[in-house]
Amino acid sequence: MPGFPLKLLRWFCKPEYLPDIEGDLLQLYYRRTESLGRRRAHLLLIRDVLLLCRPGLVRSSDLLRRNKNLTAMLKHNLTLSFRSFARHKTTFVINVIGLSSGLMCVLLIGLWVKSELAVDQFHKQGSRLYQVMNNLQSQNTITLDITPVPLASALVAEFPEVERAVSTNNFFSWETRDGILSAGDVSIQATGWHAGPDFFKVFSFRLLQGDENRVLTDKNSIVISEAVARKLFSDSDNAIGKSIYWKHPLFEGTFLVSGVFETPPAASSAKFDFLISMEVLLDHDRWAAKWTGDYAQTFVLLKEGADVVQFDAKLKGFLKSKDPGLARFSLFSQPYLSRYLYGNYVNGVTSGGRIDNVRLFSVLALFILLIACINFINLSTAEGSLRMKEIGVKKTMGASQWLMVHRFFVESLVMTLISAVVAIVLVFLITPYMNDLVGRDLLSTIEPQHLIGLGGIVLLTAIIAGAYPAIHLSRFKPVAVLKGRLAESRGQWTFRRSLVVFQFALVVIFLVAIQVIHRQIEFTQTKDLGYNRYNIISFPWKGELYNMWNGLGEGKSNQNFESFMSRVRELPSVLHATNLLGNILEKIPSQSGITWNGLDSERDYEFQSPVVGFDFIETLGIEMREGRTFAKDRHDDYSKVILNESAVKLMGLRDPVGKKIDMNGGSEIVGVVRDFHYGSLHEAVQPLIFRCDPTGRTVMIKIRPGQEQKAIDEIQKVYATFLPGYTFDATFMDDDYLALYASETSMASLSQYLSVVAIIISCLGLFGLAAFAADRRMKEISIRKVFGSTPADVVRILSREFTVPVLIAIVIGLPISFFLAKEWLSGFAERIDLAWWYFVLAAIIALVVSWLAVALKTLKAARVSVLRGLREE
Amino acid sequence: MYYRVLQGHGMKKYQLGEFEEVVLLTVGILDGDAYGVTIKDEIESRLKREVSVGALQITLRRLESKGHLKSKLGGTEKNRGGRPKLYFVLTAGGKRALLHTRNTRDELWSALPQLTFKLE
Repeated sequence: MPGFPLKLLRWFCKPEYLPDIEGDLLQLYYRRTESLGRRRAHLLLIRDVLLLCRPGLVRSSDLLRRNKNLTAMLKHNLTLSFRSFARHKTTFVINVIGLSSGLMCVLLIGLWVKSELAVDQFHKQGSRLYQVMNNLQSQNTITLDITPVPLASALVAEFPEVERAVSTNNFFSWETRDGILSAGDVSIQATGWHAGPDFFKVFSFRLLQGDENRVLTDKNSIVISEAVARKLFSDSDNAIGKSIYWKHPLFEGTFLVSGVFETPPAASSAKFDFLISMEVLLDHDRWAAKWTGDYAQTFVLLKEGADVVQFDAKLKGFLKSKDPGLARFSLFSQPYLSRYLYGNYVNGVTSGGRIDNVRLFSVLALFILLIACINFINLSTAEGSLRMKEIGVKKTMGASQWLMVHRFFVESLVMTLISAVVAIVLVFLITPYMNDLVGRDLLSTIEPQHLIGLGGIVLLTAIIAGAYPAIHLSRFKPVAVLKGRLAESRGQWTFRRSLVVFQFALVVIFLVAIQVIHRQIEFTQTKDLGYNRYNIISFPWKGELYNMWNGLGEGKSNQNFESFMSRVRELPSVLHATNLLGNILEKIPSQSGITWNGLDSERDYEFQSPVVGFDFIETLGIEMREGRTFAKDRHDDYSKVILNESAVKLMGLRDPVGKKIDMNGGSEIVGVVRDFHYGSLHEAVQPLIFRCDPTGRTVMIKIRPGQEQKAIDEIQKVYATFLPGYTFDATFMDDDYLALYASETSMASLSQYLSVVAIIISCLGLFGLAAFAADRRMKEISIRKVFGSTPADVVRILSREFTVPVLIAIVIGLPISFFLAKEWLSGFAERIDLAWWYFVLAAIIALVVSWLAVALKTLKAARVSVLRGLREE
Repeated sequence: MYYRVLQGHGMKKYQLGEFEEVVLLTVGILDGDAYGVTIKDEIESRLKREVSVGALQITLRRLESKGHLKSKLGGTEKNRGGRPKLYFVLTAGGKRALLHTRNTRDELWSALPQLTFKLE
């Protein structure tokens, strides 16, 4: 009789129609076998069966038909689940702790990832919005975000695929961006942008008042944020037409409010309090309108369907075609929506950025959740031996495998839901601290996406954790289990042990990671940098300052600033005071094209060249090797330089003091300093040339030790008399130095938390497994004890079973952690050596912790009275 | 209004599709010996068209649920693998439906102008 086609028919056909249809088919089949042969008859039968698959003949689906049973069964299985939780309290608690901490990690990191991914996504035309970036070819390609001001209008005029383009300028990042906005008696500190007229058509910042076509066309217009409007005006709803005075070292003047925009949301990478027309910048800075002056950020909106690759190809040589002197600059476009996450450039090409952390943390969170799921799998399969009777009896009574899967899956789902509730409570408790850490409100509103994400994660966890045990347990053969034969196969035991191996390999990796990250951070803090960063405060001078760097009237006297500096120097709590251009810890200007006697003329070297005022070397306590420092009474100026040892070595100068080098004109070397680490230890020390020009905006002050608070109060008072209305933003240099390693420190604390969670979860799992092993081997233990084993012997025997997987985990985990540690450390120019004992320590901790977890349970088992263990027979 | 609906319903009850009509007539022809295989054979031999088991079965069940046919389980034969035969017979309703179909068709035929066929 043909088997398969009829089976298929039985599966889908309404049972009441089945007998006679089957009869007809068989009758036809036998008849055809005689006339056409078996093979053709079989094929025709299959065709007939397939043609029988029609709505009228197909039975309603299993799920629908069993609907009434389903609720009853669900209720029954729920009851059973709760009973089994109540019976196995230890397992229950272990599972809830494990799963809820795993879920908590995933949810918290999920919230953070979501907020990172949401940055800038609110721009409606985002998919067509690009920022024009600028690659500067030198020794290495440096990627800048600044472009010439005329670029935007040239792009619109000359590129057919560009719909709109807008230039903005954020008042120069190396100048102070803060200024004072005042209206009537009210003054606030604020920061703003110059922007081209199409700003509100390109970006999706919402205008609440004003006409988007006209708000930025007039030179006297200012568009303010809602927050600024609230602060400045009592009736902020009618701000248009009111006058505001803007005071900033670069320019000041009266502006009339032409519009009010909604304060940029937290999810915007661009932050500004107000906008002023780009024309104002062109008026007060004669370099701004030129192609050679990089004064603007340029954003373009491409037309629908424009080819970006082609656009990029045309952009590449665009600057050169405008001015041959710009041959070293080449432009390219960066999608605006990804500029936040992909903000790093190496050799002019994007190479990750924040996205790396997003990926790293997501992977870590998933691993933690996986460890927790593994616990659940381990414990429930181990528990299987205790459930044999239930499964055997149920299957004998006719329960299908599907029913048993349902039974155990309900249990794991309930477990996951309970854990999810615990995890959600924890998330709500912890989120405020997370908000402080990441500086963003992660859970300001609960959106549908959150609920979908939560539901998805919970379901996924239930499936990962529940699927294997449900299938495994439901496969038990009723005869075997009722006879009491252990359904534990060798493969099963290996599987469970390999899960332990996986967990502990992760634990080992985490343990090594904590040590390496901590040692390296400690190293960055204790290493002798070649200068003393303690008791130094730095702050920007926010008042007017004229120098050749900001394009303001050169040679004008900086009377106000100079008298401020001498007032500060006179304070008794101040040891030294100096000023410089930019920031010694972060970006230092660099210069190439320097020549000197003995230079191999083919090569062009790049030098770090900070521009510092008098007393700089004294303030930082940098050691002099030769010569003298810059001094006011010697009337040192731009023509004097001080080298560091690396620079002397590179130049190959003997007796450098007094020699001249050519650096935009002759410069005399007046001294040599010992090499010092000016930035973070990610970078090695480079050849460096100090230049002297006391017009930098950053003020650095060395305070007499022990008088920090007094000194800050006094300096602030002086600052306030010189610059009323401005905030005094002083920071300690050692804090600033620490902040250079912010991503490493946050990674250190994160890996600390995560490894604590991982260790706890893994140990809980091992503890649970040990409990079951002890239960299962109760008889063996009792017999051993009768023959004279001590509790210590018993513990040793039981622990051996778990020591082997942990040892294997160590063997697997150590090479991986070695490789990862090496990779991470390669990001530092100055780094610790990987000592062997980091790894040994990690291995010992993992081993000891696993022993403790096992011993805790086995010790109890070893103490149980022999009688109780043997009583049953 | 009510009457019309009723009448419409009544009319619809008698309306038969082409294949339904064929099946009903064949069941009538076989007169007591009509079950799946014989009906299929009869249609295939008389009308020279192939009938799939699926199409036949679903039509039989539909006609039964409409009340045009009535079924009865019968004995089995060796070549049926022990499965019973399901015999179908025409009900009064089925006969009426056949008559109705024939009458409506005749009416239409008689209304047809002679011209139509002369032209061919």
